Amino acid sequence: MSDVLELRGLTRHYGEITALDDLSFTVPSGQVVGFLGPNGAGKTTTMRAIFGLVDLDAGSVRWNGTAVTQRERRRFGYMPEERGLYPGMRVGEQLEYLGRLHGMSAREAASATRAWLEQLGLAERVDSRVDSLSHGNQQRVQLVSALMHEPDLLVLDEPLAGLDPTGIDDIGQVLIHQARSGRCVLFSSHQLDQVEDLCESVTIIDHGRLVVSGRVDDLAAQGQRRLVVRVEGDRDGQWARGLPGVSVSEASGGAVRLVLEASVDSDEVLRAATHAGRVTEFVFERRRMSEVFREAMA
Amino acid sequence: MKILIVLGIGAVVLGVRLWLRRHGRGARPGPADERVAAEERVAAEERVAAEEREVTGRDGKAAVGETGRKERRGPLLGDVGLVAGREVRERLRGRVFRIGTLIILLVVAAAIVIPTLRSGKPAPQRVGVVGSLPPHAEAALVAAGPSLGTTVRVVHEPSLSSAQDDLRANRVDLVVVDGRRILVDKAINPTDTSTTAELVRALAAGLGLQRAYDTAGLSPAQVEQVSHAVPIPVTSLQPSPQGTTRTTSVIGVILIFVMLTQYNTWILVGVMEEKASRVVEVLLAALRPLQLLSGKVLGIGLVAMGQAALIVVFALALAKGVGSSLLHGTAPAELASALVWLVLGYAFYCWVYAAAGSTVERQEQIQSLAFPLSLPMLVGYIMALTVAGTGDVSLFFRVLAYLPPTAMFAMPVLVGLNKVAWWGFALSVLITVVSTVAVARFAARVYRRSILRTGQRVRLREAIAGHAVSVR
Repeated sequence: MSDVLELRGLTRHYGEITALDDLSFTVPSGQVVGFLGPNGAGKTTTMRAIFGLVDLDAGSVRWNGTAVTQRERRRFGYMPEERGLYPGMRVGEQLEYLGRLHGMSAREAASATRAWLEQLGLAERVDSRVDSLSHGNQQRVQLVSALMHEPDLLVLDEPLAGLDPTGIDDIGQVLIHQARSGRCVLFSSHQLDQVEDLCESVTIIDHGRLVVSGRVDDLAAQGQRRLVVRVEGDRDGQWARGLPGVSVSEASGGAVRLVLEASVDSDEVLRAATHAGRVTEFVFERRRMSEVFREAMA
Repeated sequence: MKILIVLGIGAVVLGVRLWLRRHGRGARPGPADERVAAEERVAAEERVAAEEREVTGRDGKAAVGETGRKERRGPLLGDVGLVAGREVRERLRGRVFRIGTLIILLVVAAAIVIPTLRSGKPAPQRVGVVGSLPPHAEAALVAAGPSLGTTVRVVHEPSLSSAQDDLRANRVDLVVVDGRRILVDKAINPTDTSTTAELVRALAAGLGLQRAYDTAGLSPAQVEQVSHAVPIPVTSLQPSPQGTTRTTSVIGVILIFVMLTQYNTWILVGVMEEKASRVVEVLLAALRPLQLLSGKVLGIGLVAMGQAALIVVFALALAKGVGSSLLHGTAPAELASALVWLVLGYAFYCWVYAAAGSTVERQEQIQSLAFPLSLPMLVGYIMALTVAGTGDVSLFFRVLAYLPPTAMFAMPVLVGLNKVAWWGFALSVLITVVSTVAVARFAARVYRRSILRTGQRVRLREAIAGHAVSVR
């Protein structure tokens, strides 16, 4: 039986502010689910609610159809947005302690700590104080603490924030591997376009409400066509402005990204471009998640 | 005494264990751990269903997984034990703790040893005797030693000049010449309380009396009778203060104050640091707030009781070794009462400090909290020391002995002054225990509501009524 996390009608008010507004979605096992939305959309509150860290006004968090209790939470792994470890504790000791809090025996915790530190290239730092590690390495230790007990569900709040490209690759690989081994993986990001390579499906929220949810491939293929065109001598894409049914969604690095209405013939666009100068790039692209979000909100 | 300590620690462990069994995972949470009613009702029903499935074994996977996990849960007290274990390890490792313990032991050693040094056996007195001395007079001279806590050795001098030489060279302390006069090196000041001075006074009076008996021509039987005269007894309307036990209760009160201050600060800072470092969110994803809190106060409490036991055992052994009078009479009972109140005082205050710690996340905020929090302790402590000094028990002080925030200081002093019946003691213990339960519940509530609210200091009103971030 494959596991599933189900959020049903989560609602939470802070005084005047509505943090969660009847939010429902599911996280199936076996795939990485991206949980996206701008800052303040309610991602952290949702994730805290999964761990019972927020009193909900209404709604429930269910695991395989049953309301989540401490027993289930012990089999979850969590990396909060505000990272936290005991600064003065040694890396190995810290991880073993957290592993044991999740029900591992002392021996299991010790061997899992060794194996994970090895895998993330931190084996020789096992006796270092946590606060002597670099930011990226602390983040890696934090990740280990979330998944060393082989959780059924992995919840990571902004795991990529503040990481360099190597760090992003490392953590991304771990997430994909976790999902492939049949776990539920939910991770949040406010940078909507950063995660397309990483996740198979996304749930996008704003103001505590669900905006759109689905497989990345489906969402990216839907909607209007995107066309990236580079014309020498016209970095701002002046040539494309005024073309009927064509809008310039962005101009960067000397290329313009165009959104084409259904009626537009792309050959017409190509002709206009060649008329303006030498065309060095002419590519159809998928819809980005930020565009999915913007278009769903419009 | 050791048995008492072991019993005390055992009782704490047993109590927490029983409590855990009632509030353990899977069980319906108590009022202090209330969650959202809606979620909880559903959860409770479904838990029952899930447990039934497990029992009947219809859901094979869940049953195996759960029992497998239960077997792996080794540590005593489960999660609370894990948290407590970490606290104990971290605290014992701290240099401040080790040095602090050493300092306390040194102070205790000084308090026990120094008084015995002053009243200890002085050097034996050497008395030179020139000329003849009646045999009964020489016997009286030697007998004067023990009454002054010393021994007297008689040195027969061949001549006055050799006696003077010995006196100058400090080979003898004083010289009795023909039983008629006493020779000393330096003039003796009336306020001089040295052993030599006391002996000189005693001998001067005694030998003078002897000469008077001889002059009066008393028979040996009459001399015997007269010299056995004893002073008539003097009684007072008010009972005399019991010096020894008073000292013991003062030491007990100081110990309680020093230890409560130290361990409460640990809790305050420990909770604040977990909040400040944000590690608490990781912990609370796996633990209930009350489990985390209980583990913390239990761990620090065990360290506290271990330290107290070490100090008491050390004090007892040392007092016995040097023959101190500090632990005679009712003092052991009083020491036991001090230990009981140390445990109760810790149990009462630890929750208050834990709750306070959860509302702040910076060192300077701690400082503004620590003083108002310590005020009731300070009042109780100062009052207790004053009363122990004067022996005057006011009604106000009696009231303090029954109020949980001050009872741990006032009650041991009442015990020391022998001014409380056993039922009064028991009543005060009962009041403190009941209030401790209430305070713990209140503290758990404040903690839940404050620990994840970062940024500003959480106001107490918000924490109690709080409709903000709160844990479970």
